[in-house]
Amino acid sequence: MKIKGGYFKKLLFVDLDKGDARVVNLSDEFCLKYIGGRGFGIKLIWDNQKNYKSPLDPQNLVVVAPGPLSGLYLPSSGKTSFVTMSPATGIYGDSNMGGSFGVELRQAGYDALAIKGKAKKLSYLWIDDDEVEIVENEGLKGKGCLELEGIIKNDLKDDHLRIASIGVAGENLVRFACISADWGRNAGRTGLGAVLGSKNIKAIVIRGSKDLPVFDLKKLKEISDASFEKLKNHKYFTFWQQQGLMSVIDYVNEAGVMPTYNFRDGQFSGAEKINGYEMEAKYKIGDTACFACPMACGNICLVKEGKYSGTVIEGPEYETACMFGPNLGMNNFACILKANALCDDLGIDTISTGNLIGVLIEAQELGLVSEEELGGMRLKWGDEENIIQLIHDIAHRKGIGNILADGSLELLKKFPQLSPILSQVKGLEQSAYDGRAAVSMALGFATSDIGAHHARAWPLAKELEMGKDWGLEQKAELVIYHQTVRPLFDMLGVCRLPWIELGFDENTYAEFYSAVTGVTISMDELLKKSNDLYDVTRAINIKMGISRKDDYPPERCFSTPIPSGPQAGKVIDREEYEKLLTIYYQKRGWDENGQPDMKGIDKKFSDKTLI
Amino acid sequence: MSRMLTVLPERCSGCRLCEVVCSINRFGVNNPKKSSIRVIVIYPHPVIRMPIVCRQCKEPKCQENCPTDAIVIKDGYCDIDEEKCISCQQCVMSCPFGAIFLHGDMSAPFKCNLCDGDPQCVKSCPKNALLFIPEHTLGQAHRMASVLKYTKMKEVEYVEKGERKILRYADIESGKEEK
Repeated sequence: MKIKGGYFKKLLFVDLDKGDARVVNLSDEFCLKYIGGRGFGIKLIWDNQKNYKSPLDPQNLVVVAPGPLSGLYLPSSGKTSFVTMSPATGIYGDSNMGGSFGVELRQAGYDALAIKGKAKKLSYLWIDDDEVEIVENEGLKGKGCLELEGIIKNDLKDDHLRIASIGVAGENLVRFACISADWGRNAGRTGLGAVLGSKNIKAIVIRGSKDLPVFDLKKLKEISDASFEKLKNHKYFTFWQQQGLMSVIDYVNEAGVMPTYNFRDGQFSGAEKINGYEMEAKYKIGDTACFACPMACGNICLVKEGKYSGTVIEGPEYETACMFGPNLGMNNFACILKANALCDDLGIDTISTGNLIGVLIEAQELGLVSEEELGGMRLKWGDEENIIQLIHDIAHRKGIGNILADGSLELLKKFPQLSPILSQVKGLEQSAYDGRAAVSMALGFATSDIGAHHARAWPLAKELEMGKDWGLEQKAELVIYHQTVRPLFDMLGVCRLPWIELGFDENTYAEFYSAVTGVTISMDELLKKSNDLYDVTRAINIKMGISRKDDYPPERCFSTPIPSGPQAGKVIDREEYEKLLTIYYQKRGWDENGQPDMKGIDKKFSDKTLI
Repeated sequence: MSRMLTVLPERCSGCRLCEVVCSINRFGVNNPKKSSIRVIVIYPHPVIRMPIVCRQCKEPKCQENCPTDAIVIKDGYCDIDEEKCISCQQCVMSCPFGAIFLHGDMSAPFKCNLCDGDPQCVKSCPKNALLFIPEHTLGQAHRMASVLKYTKMKEVEYVEKGERKILRYADIESGKEEK
């Protein structure tokens, strides 16, 4: 089938060792098979695995890939995937961001950008439509992500540039360093910032001017006009603009699945001090939206008084508010904003940071680590000063921060006694939902291809709603469905929130894809491709030694029942989990040990290596 | 009745839907860089998002400075006559708002033409940050606010269909105090 739009069919490959950039043409077959975004990333990482030594070795790749729908006139089309082998986990890793960065890359005429090698000196990559340059600039060393955007725009005399950058943490190879763009949009998880840091790339700067290829613009406009209208008429549309993901705080707390005191409890007594209403009443000064998104879920907050006065932040998002709030026993919203602003500027993932600091606080409370081992730090729940200090210390790799900076796996090597209280899967720190109240959520965390993150599957609400009447078969099926449809959004380069939050029909995306590319395709066919690629990420991980033993939720899910709240007493039954995991494997067509048909995958995805 | 395209930057989320829809309607391409409206975002000092679009000035600087009289006013909007335009960019430099734009693919500068009296950006804005309103209503929100802020108001509580309500009125007595 011939593609008539949607793709430039061009990949920009930058080899930092050679100091050059070249355009690799993508065939129609390639585009259709891997769709784009995460899909392109997976293929490139898969092909590169034979050269790959370790995540921070120059041979590792960073792939930046928006999708064929990115930048187009349709709801929330501003998503871009960043794909690599993760220094946090040592396995496949990806993360995505909204904003306008990926749109600009597309406007420069590329479907994806792949970076390999290592620049001799600290540099930024400057992509000005067809001209690509690696610009050495050691003066950028130590600059925060916010400041850096201003400096580069000033240097290049253009306010309209789009810049993705790493902060101090990325330069210092903190294993959960993130990549930040548009002053607060982050590809936060799996340590992509450290990989860019290891390549001596401080920022990627883009200016693009091209028309985005669309096969049938009239048709696209027609479907999109109706789609926007549908979203605008949803009963929660205005509420969503007002609070965005911050509205989830109340839901999660009332449901009793709020990570509280390092995932120990399921409900936080101070939740009303850190929820969406508190934010709206005292801190919110504006809405912000990613490209072409009517929902505008981003909040801009300002602390107007007190010791954090003057803190401005695009955020917080639910995850951040939770990980620095209830998870650390903190009920001062202003301090959460300060922590968020610091993480954004220093360039570290708020989820991992909040999670790891929580572990330290509990560890000290339980006497698992001594004051000396923490460099004289005496930590308490809600301890504002030390929490802020630890954020600095992690990014700058000072004292105990230096140990935390290497992530869960290294922390466990140093302090194996923390294993029962460290919520992580495959080395990725768990994001802000309690897995104990819903075994399907635990399975989602355990089988996510990047580690304990909710982006791949979020069956929590469904299981809480269905209660006991919901069999293991259905649970496994829903997890697999989520792990198929949610990554598809990352492949198309769009946001999944219109679908999740405002009930937007996912089948519309097949209509968008068909109108844009001129290739008629159904949602089922798209899902099939996404599902196939889930096998590939599994295969990548299998080659890194992952197997059934790694597909378990954090230890606490089995060992400690939720102590209070509506879910009190709930804990994952090990036997039931084993059963569920086996069913999950069967439904995926993987063997008892979680291994897919490696030979079949090798054959199916052995098409031409691109770079 | 002449209408005006008005921007309320406080409401803007910076989503750039206005840019995309403008490029589609104006030039038949999906390219926010070919739109006659641009969202400018400044952060964090100060924090603001604001779409820049032609205000259809009644004494346009662009027209005043155009050496070839290519800027014409018709039906309440200012347009660039591409026949006469020599693309010297004088208008771009003259516009006090920076609301005339250029693109490498285009032979002439371009600006908002109000989409034949039905601006598509206004329709597409999910935050109602863009309004197309009768000229005389401009400022009415401020007028209303200043009336409501008037302090010498009295309140009467009453019940309507079981619901407690408040009626406010200006007090004649207190008005007498001002000599």
